[in-house]
Amino acid sequence: MKLSWFSTGAAALLLFSMRAFAHHSFAAEFDARKPVELKGTLIELEWVNPHAWIHMEVKDESGKVTKWDCELGSPNLLMRQGWRRDSLKKGDVIVVDGSAAKDGSNLANAKTVKLADGARVFNAGSSGETGTPGAPVQ
Amino acid sequence: MRLNPTLSLAVFCFAAAHLSAQWLDYPTKGIPRNPDGKANLTAPAPKLPDGKPDLSGLWLGDQWSPAGHRPVSRARSTPPEMLPWAQKVFDERRANSIKDDPEARCMPQGVPKASTLPYPFELINAPGKLVMLYEMYSLRREIFTDGRELPKEFISPSWMGYSVGKWDGDEFVVTTAGINDQVWNVDLAGHPHSDVLRVTERFHRVDFGHMDIQVTIDDAKTYVKPWIMPVMRYTLLPDTDLLEFVCEKNVDPQHMVGNSK
Repeated sequence: MKLSWFSTGAAALLLFSMRAFAHHSFAAEFDARKPVELKGTLIELEWVNPHAWIHMEVKDESGKVTKWDCELGSPNLLMRQGWRRDSLKKGDVIVVDGSAAKDGSNLANAKTVKLADGARVFNAGSSGETGTPGAPVQ
Repeated sequence: MRLNPTLSLAVFCFAAAHLSAQWLDYPTKGIPRNPDGKANLTAPAPKLPDGKPDLSGLWLGDQWSPAGHRPVSRARSTPPEMLPWAQKVFDERRANSIKDDPEARCMPQGVPKASTLPYPFELINAPGKLVMLYEMYSLRREIFTDGRELPKEFISPSWMGYSVGKWDGDEFVVTTAGINDQVWNVDLAGHPHSDVLRVTERFHRVDFGHMDIQVTIDDAKTYVKPWIMPVMRYTLLPDTDLLEFVCEKNVDPQHMVGNSK
């Protein structure tokens, strides 16, 4: 049976950290020197191309709530890494690690997403830059 | 007929597992397998009825694949020596983190860049042509093998160009031209091209699970001389199928500032 993706997923994803540059240049939009760790409540996992999105509410120390949008890989990339469109539910408390947008908006590129209890970790399938054999790095 | 309850349960569970995963996860029929049931990726390359290698299958670039392990080979590659205008364009693109690449607006990537991305493509044999289906943006190419030559002029240059293919020993040699000027770059690095671009791709299926493509870029209006990219490595993706990819909600371009911030 192949239903055990939750149990095998975390280990596999640690081994296989795909730094996928999918659809657009990472550095055109995000700043790898501006890491963010966002802990908050999921509003929606939006399952659309070319990128799925996590929309979440983040509460700061003063209690002020801010909405953040976190870019993931495409649904196909996520599915091949074990995600499903219902992997996260509205109201889940999650922690997103990633890079902030250069334009200063509440936008981030997610590297990993985990449930706050640490039970499940997902590679976000959308982060990092790459060289590719088809693209000699100059 | 009485059904064995244990067997019925097992069949139900097996079917349920696959239904839940749709065709993301469906066993490919008729492929060589190891005793553990996994595809035997080092079995010999399959042959077509005429004795030529059969290139069909789903292929994913090794740099994106959990199964990909072969190192990049630069053995036959040569560097791109750009003419001054091309060097200027290339430098501007690099300085801007390639923010204006039409791909970021969900436009087709062109050839050969479409084959360098983190999504599989499928090769399908058909009479008189080899069909190449790309998962990303659901693009496709028809590589004609019916003996036709590329036209001298292209009345309507296209995003993915026009392709013909023929065999040279065990290598399938594809020549592509007629790529339009809306395609920006021949690779992820951002190398430009002109209307005289000719791309040669040499497909070599090394064994059942591995394929190489060696690409030569010939564009006298852009480069001092033809140049050869490092060989692109691919590993077969068994037990899955292409998935739909329609670019339905693209919100990135409004945030893409390049290096202005």
